[in-house]
Amino acid sequence: MSVLSPSMGTRRRSPSFGAAGLVAPATIYVGVGLLIPLAILFRYSLNRFVPGQFMVDALTLENYVKFFTDTYYTGVLWRTVRVAIVTTAFCVVMGFPLAYVLARTRSRYKNLLIMLVVLPLFVGNAVRAAGWMVAFGNRGLVNASLVGAGLIQQPIEIMFTETAVIVGIIAVNLPFMVLTLQSVIEGIDRAVEEAAFNLGASPIHMARRVLLPLAMPGILAGTILTFILAMNAYATPVLLGGPRFQMMGPLVYNQFVQQNNWPFGGAIAFILMIATLVLTLASSLLVQSRYRHAAG
Amino acid sequence: MDATLAPHRLDALSAGARPRADARRWGRWALNGAAALSLGFILLPLLLVTWLAFFRQEIPSFPPEGYSVRWFGAVANNKIFVNGFLLSLQVGIAATLIGLALAVPASLAIARRRFFGREPINTLLLMPLVVPGVVLGTAIYVFQIETEIATGLPVLGSTAGLVAAHALIVIPWAVRLVTASFAGFDPTIEEAAKNLGAPPFTTFRRVTLPAIRPGIVAAALFGFVMSFGNLEMSLFLVGAGRTTLPIAILQYLEWKIDPTVAAVSVLQIVLIGAAMIVTDRYVKISQVV
Repeated sequence: MSVLSPSMGTRRRSPSFGAAGLVAPATIYVGVGLLIPLAILFRYSLNRFVPGQFMVDALTLENYVKFFTDTYYTGVLWRTVRVAIVTTAFCVVMGFPLAYVLARTRSRYKNLLIMLVVLPLFVGNAVRAAGWMVAFGNRGLVNASLVGAGLIQQPIEIMFTETAVIVGIIAVNLPFMVLTLQSVIEGIDRAVEEAAFNLGASPIHMARRVLLPLAMPGILAGTILTFILAMNAYATPVLLGGPRFQMMGPLVYNQFVQQNNWPFGGAIAFILMIATLVLTLASSLLVQSRYRHAAG
Repeated sequence: MDATLAPHRLDALSAGARPRADARRWGRWALNGAAALSLGFILLPLLLVTWLAFFRQEIPSFPPEGYSVRWFGAVANNKIFVNGFLLSLQVGIAATLIGLALAVPASLAIARRRFFGREPINTLLLMPLVVPGVVLGTAIYVFQIETEIATGLPVLGSTAGLVAAHALIVIPWAVRLVTASFAGFDPTIEEAAKNLGAPPFTTFRRVTLPAIRPGIVAAALFGFVMSFGNLEMSLFLVGAGRTTLPIAILQYLEWKIDPTVAAVSVLQIVLIGAAMIVTDRYVKISQVV
């Protein structure tokens, strides 16, 4: 009987201690290495910081209260959210055409093109910020070109502005968006696009009524990913924004390492994580309910 | 049939079809143009930094006064960059090996076995990817300090402490890529091997392992690259005077930008590009990302 139905063999329950032995090392490693540190950090965020005495054991919410009652800190949070929303919107608009072309191309250079998208993602944020510093400086490429063309007399201020940071973050996050969208578009049958065209749809019509609804799960996944990355950006705001343009990531580092204020630094870290999580959940619920509305 | 169509009927047909065909052709041009702009935008910073690395003068002003390769020599004499590179290489290799040793067996169980707590464990193993780098860095920093206080061992700032933290970010990539490589694998082939008398380890080595090898190779590449390029988390964990390459580049750039740091960046781009090309021979990058 068992010879005739090989599936019987695969369905045989393996001894569960076998599975436990395989997953236990990694599970313990991540549990100890991630969850315990987060728990300690949260506990620290409830302590009190006394200048001169460093950290004093306490059970207080005053670090969180301090953050939300000081307009400087709420300003940093608001600026971070704003930059994250703007950069994510640009990533969707700029990423979709590239993802579509990469998904649909039959070119033999497809693999090369995808590697060109992955390479910048791999070389790290500091290197890419360096590239923008070449362009944005007072005597950088942009200003030299504009002055050379006679369009401006004095170099314009680009480095250490919000614009520089936004451009930098878009370039950092765009590959993530493109790769996410590309894999989803590849899963959409080309025949449905042809059907729309054969029924007389214009390309814009087809994209809006057929392609975008079908690609919505990918757009959502890419949006969430790039939004999280933008909220937590570190190297780009530090290098292109300078010390006066504060975002949440550098703020955590400053409080922790430079001010040595661990309780407050811990609180900011948790506020950043919770804010990212809440905004991500809210946007995905919003999109999902609208999507269901449109489909129903 | 086509050949026998009267000329006036052909005209009528094409008159109806032409606007639509035109719209599609324009649509295609606009699409390809937009795609090329986005790709150019992604690559622009790498091209600019490469350009600067070959400038003759030290100040990045335009147009360049001439070209030179002397900055690549300057990199070799810069102790911070050389040591940073060696530390990053060491940590990246060690963290990738540890991460794979932990993640591959776990992926095997997650992909192939049904056991209690499979979903939550999968989520936990992917979590280091979701927790922001800065938060991860602060949390591990306080953890390592607590460990130092408890054990008296110098953890913070040590290479071992850095490797331990980096293995944590290798694991989620390895779990993701290796479990995905099981998707197209038919378990009855393993059964066949066993029925033909192969012992479990031989079955694993001769049947299962070759099937998931692309996933493991991809996991090794991604794990190494994520460790090598990690900035936010490492920032908290490096010791005084001992930094990884990305941190050395960041700290240099906070001070100034010149062709020396651009040359270091070019070397990093070349190294990672080479790693990608080598990996691509074993597993098509476009199929795993």
